[in-house]
Amino acid sequence: MTRDGARVWGAGLYLGLMLAFLYLPIVVMIVMAFNRSPLYELPFVFDLVWFKALATNDRLLQASFNSLWIALVTAAIATVLGMLAAYAFARYEFRAKRTLQVLLFPPITIPWLIVGTSMLVFFFWTGIGRGLHAILLGHVALALPYVIVVIGARFQAVDASLEEAALTAGASPWQAFTRITLPLLAPGLIAAALFAFAVSFDQFVISYFLAPPGVSTLPVEIYSAIRKGFTPEINAVSALIILLSMGLMLIVARFYKFGGER
Amino acid sequence: MALEAGKARTILALTAPAYLWLALTVFLPLAVMLYFSFLTVTPLGGRVAEFTLTNYTDFFTKRIYWFNAWRSLEMGFYVTALCLLFAYPAAFFLAKWIAGRWREAIFLLIILPFWSNALVRTFSWTMVLREPVGLLFTYPAILIGLVHAYLPYAILTIYVSLQAIDDRLIEAATSLGASPRQTFARVILPLSMPGVLSAVFLIFVPVIGSFMEPRILGGKNAIMLGPIIEGEFVSAFNWPLGSALSFVMLAIVLLALIAGSPLLKRYADLA
Amino acid sequence: MSKVTVDSVSKFYGAVAALDHVSLTFEDGEFFGLLGPSGSGKTTLLRMIAGFVAPDTGSVSFDGERVDTVPVQKRGIGMVFQNYALFPHLSVADNIAFGLSVRSAPRAEIDRRVGEMLELVQLPGKGGRKPRELSGGQQQRVALARALITQPKVLLLDEPLGALDRRLRQEMQVELRQIQRRLAITTIFVTHDQEEALTLSDRIAIINDGKIAQVGAPQEIYEAPDSVFTAQFLGDANVLRGQPSGTRLTLADGSRIETNGPNAGIAIVRPEKIRIERGHRPPTGNGLQGVVAQAVYSGASVTYRLAVPATGDTPFLAFAQNQSGGVIAPGEPVTVSWETAQTIVVKP
Repeated sequence: MTRDGARVWGAGLYLGLMLAFLYLPIVVMIVMAFNRSPLYELPFVFDLVWFKALATNDRLLQASFNSLWIALVTAAIATVLGMLAAYAFARYEFRAKRTLQVLLFPPITIPWLIVGTSMLVFFFWTGIGRGLHAILLGHVALALPYVIVVIGARFQAVDASLEEAALTAGASPWQAFTRITLPLLAPGLIAAALFAFAVSFDQFVISYFLAPPGVSTLPVEIYSAIRKGFTPEINAVSALIILLSMGLMLIVARFYKFGGER
Repeated sequence: MALEAGKARTILALTAPAYLWLALTVFLPLAVMLYFSFLTVTPLGGRVAEFTLTNYTDFFTKRIYWFNAWRSLEMGFYVTALCLLFAYPAAFFLAKWIAGRWREAIFLLIILPFWSNALVRTFSWTMVLREPVGLLFTYPAILIGLVHAYLPYAILTIYVSLQAIDDRLIEAATSLGASPRQTFARVILPLSMPGVLSAVFLIFVPVIGSFMEPRILGGKNAIMLGPIIEGEFVSAFNWPLGSALSFVMLAIVLLALIAGSPLLKRYADLA
Repeated sequence: MSKVTVDSVSKFYGAVAALDHVSLTFEDGEFFGLLGPSGSGKTTLLRMIAGFVAPDTGSVSFDGERVDTVPVQKRGIGMVFQNYALFPHLSVADNIAFGLSVRSAPRAEIDRRVGEMLELVQLPGKGGRKPRELSGGQQQRVALARALITQPKVLLLDEPLGALDRRLRQEMQVELRQIQRRLAITTIFVTHDQEEALTLSDRIAIINDGKIAQVGAPQEIYEAPDSVFTAQFLGDANVLRGQPSGTRLTLADGSRIETNGPNAGIAIVRPEKIRIERGHRPPTGNGLQGVVAQAVYSGASVTYRLAVPATGDTPFLAFAQNQSGGVIAPGEPVTVSWETAQTIVVKP
């Protein structure tokens, strides 16, 4: 075998093992979700019983619905707010810019545990209280830094001279924005929105602290079920979530390849 | 001048919404929690609180707190070290020895689990580690879960910085007589440091602050600082203590960052 | 079509003056070149006329009316950018139509005018393409069409031909001028390429360090530069320094030169105005003796660098048309001579 051939073979082996490690638990869980036994005992018998039970589990369904609409609203709010800020960073130079950019770091570098507990303290103290509205506040805050960075990167492809050219042709600043900037920014906006959606949908820590008794999001429900000694429906819903979020990521990756490059 | 004043207003209008939101949800809460950390009891429900430093002094005097803070740090070191150890070769092979469609495909496969729900991923490890493997609710279980969670992160950042290394630099080194080992040690490794350092900071900090993985995978053996803080807030309702411990954790994180900043400066201009 | 006036405009960035009290009038319908080295302020001036930069002092007027407070999109200008700035997500036709579509012009009129524009810039039938499918020269023409479709009062060009190769650039220069003459539109263009400025412009302003060095028709500025900077920026010039005495200039080695007017110790003579002969002989008119240091043969002409005692270490340049096919070799003694009228007095 040539030296290069051996290299590739060795690299492939190492990477293969690594992928096996990464996917092992996921595969096991997905497989077990289709297993009839409620205690995960082998032998494996294919059954959709837990998925069917899922469909009637009101608690889980409600939590899933909460997670979904919170994620959608988070994506919308974070993308709009983030786009405005990213626009300011991309088109203007000002003294406070550096400071503002640095301030984007705390929400993502401070452990989420601390972000969650401080929000709990603050919301109680100010009367905002716990609840889905509080969870929404928290999710947008977490998503914002990512959104600003992603859209900021996309701005590289939208040169300021394009907006200037639109102005010289007689377009108002608003027309220049909606006809030129926005369409060219679109791949970045979509990526940012998907990002924000994923951050919110998967978010556990913040939701855990801000969820009042009786109302929660899907991850929080899953956690309580795990702590109490779970029902296998949790397995089913977990399998669904994993497949969904990975599928979503695949779509984003594809989209970025074909639409994002100009 | 008309254009300049308008510009300042525009910038303010563009950045205010996002940053007001962050002020309300991150910066102000942190300030208020700092205030709480100096109180004797949670000042809600009609209770009156007084100023005290005991929440902080307790950290140093009561073993349960500083010992488990140490355990958190220790876990941070182990997880970071293991992640780097396994991630570097993977990133290297991907960046330098594999090319084309394979590379993209493998890269995507590595990143995918990273994007799945962390809670669900952690939960999935309970399936693997329970009987007959029997590792569930042990220290190694937490370790495995955390490494599994952060490994893709390390691979990603190291891969990016390795990829940025111009192949011609390696050719230049070889043409000057360097052996593969020397080329690696003197050219590749230093130039990949920004990626390595990113990985360290992006792994070490969250691991110190983690509570979900320790609870789920460690059960009663999960006592690190994270679960303790969570307990103070959720079970004991001792928010001042929880707040103080949170800031201690924050201080630990900051100290770690400061300790690492000379390294950062040294390699910053390569990033 | 409009007369543009800038009156004592300045622009300061911190302590640095990108423009320092510059006043100029651009006549209706003329093709005006702003020429200068990088960082001279010429682009700042252009962008000030466009409205992207607000003057710190002075004013900008179109046809006598001040426009400093009028936003860019309302000034009625057309602009071609250095990188063309074509909208990548729109077709060529939509790019050109943009100025009309933001004014909500009727579809039929838009289509008609776009067709006219494509004809004008010689790109018929390319309307459906995307910008990235076109060559550099074609993209440039689309940018021009887009700027002209709204029938602007003033056309502004920011180094429009910089990215093109030599041959294409020359073709485009001719086309640009033809179109401009046909439409009789006041055109201001920025360039650092002096040859381009000379061939295209009705008048040129040479800008250096935020100030105007000289303004005038190309021939005027070239044949009668008023400073060493202008003389050397536009074309080549041999600088002669010495003791002034009325219209006489006594050089370092004692040689005497007659200048075209009373001088202050400096004069220039351009290399193409110089006659070069083999051997040392008494010159007719102004003349100096020297030795060939280098002879560069470029086909139609030969450029001689001479070592001339009168000018010390600075080489003396002379261009000779290749009439006989022979080249004077390095090391040979020569005599150079030129007319008094071509010995131009300049200020330092």
